[in-house]
Amino acid sequence: MRSGLRLRQGMKAAIPIWIAFVPSSLAWGIAAQAHGMRLEEVVLMSAWVYSGPAQFAVLAPLAEGKSSLQVIVAGFLMNLRFLPMSTALAPYFHGVKRLPLLLSSHVISASSFIVPYLQFQKERQSDAQDFAVTQASDGYGNLAFFLGVGASSFAVWVVGTAVGYGVALGFPAGFEEVLRFILPGYFAGLLVVEMRGWAMPLVCLLALIVAVPGALASPGWGWLLTAIVAALLIWRLEEWKTRASKSS
Amino acid sequence: MEVGRVENSRIEIILIMGLMAFAVRALPQLFLVGRQFPDSWDRLLRYLSYAFICSIISVTLFMRGGTYESHAAPSRGLALAAAVVVAHRTKSAVTGMLFGTLLVLVFSWLR
Repeated sequence: MRSGLRLRQGMKAAIPIWIAFVPSSLAWGIAAQAHGMRLEEVVLMSAWVYSGPAQFAVLAPLAEGKSSLQVIVAGFLMNLRFLPMSTALAPYFHGVKRLPLLLSSHVISASSFIVPYLQFQKERQSDAQDFAVTQASDGYGNLAFFLGVGASSFAVWVVGTAVGYGVALGFPAGFEEVLRFILPGYFAGLLVVEMRGWAMPLVCLLALIVAVPGALASPGWGWLLTAIVAALLIWRLEEWKTRASKSS
Repeated sequence: MEVGRVENSRIEIILIMGLMAFAVRALPQLFLVGRQFPDSWDRLLRYLSYAFICSIISVTLFMRGGTYESHAAPSRGLALAAAVVVAHRTKSAVTGMLFGTLLVLVFSWLR
């Protein structure tokens, strides 16, 4: 009973995510169709990989039949960001059996992480009881809330992808240039809206500038290596600045 | 025959990618309960994601088949810059994307 209530609460909290997922899933479906992917490949990727940025990053190499190792490495590195998200959520599912945990972990995404995580933190702060007791007793309730957010957002993403694919089929000939711009344009916009501090804009700008020379030098791996170097460079610079400001 | 081979390998790649994504999502749930990820590593992983996205934006827009499309690069670059500015001003990625797409359409008609 309590789980049902928590599931509905999660679904209600997920409505802004659904709204955000509609344009991005449509854009992904449209771009995938424009790259010559088949509907079953597109839906499989959305349902099984379920990661907008990773799907976007591997779309062109995958569609062009580039090295499978390159596609897999790029996808893996992109998805590594789920490690800290999943780790941060884990304590709130205390007492839940392994199988439900395994199955539900598939719907962890950046959006479906943030909403439940903030909710659990808020509940923890407002709870007068001991935190450990709350965690142990409400693992299944928290999991239901998480599934309300995650599973419903997942469904929106997969359906949106298929709809986007269908929409792209209806585009008249001569719109290739437009179809090609939609997904990069959308992701560029997403990044800009999320930008905070100085490090992130610098990472983005550097990666944007060095990607083409990198890809010209090494058509397979260039863009991937230059992105890694750009991220590492700015990350080290930020670490160094933080240490310097602490010591002064 | 060749097409069939490529499509099969695409499906295989997608399956492997999904399996790896699933492992990254599921393993902390099973083995990292109660542990905390260092903030610094968290930032590095986020920066890697941002860098990959920007890198692929650049390659998708400015290159085709391993060559730099110098004739189309200025107009696409301008459309991207406009999309970024509009998204930043309106705080809406969709509005930015729509504006950039409209510019791309205008440029392609002018050409």
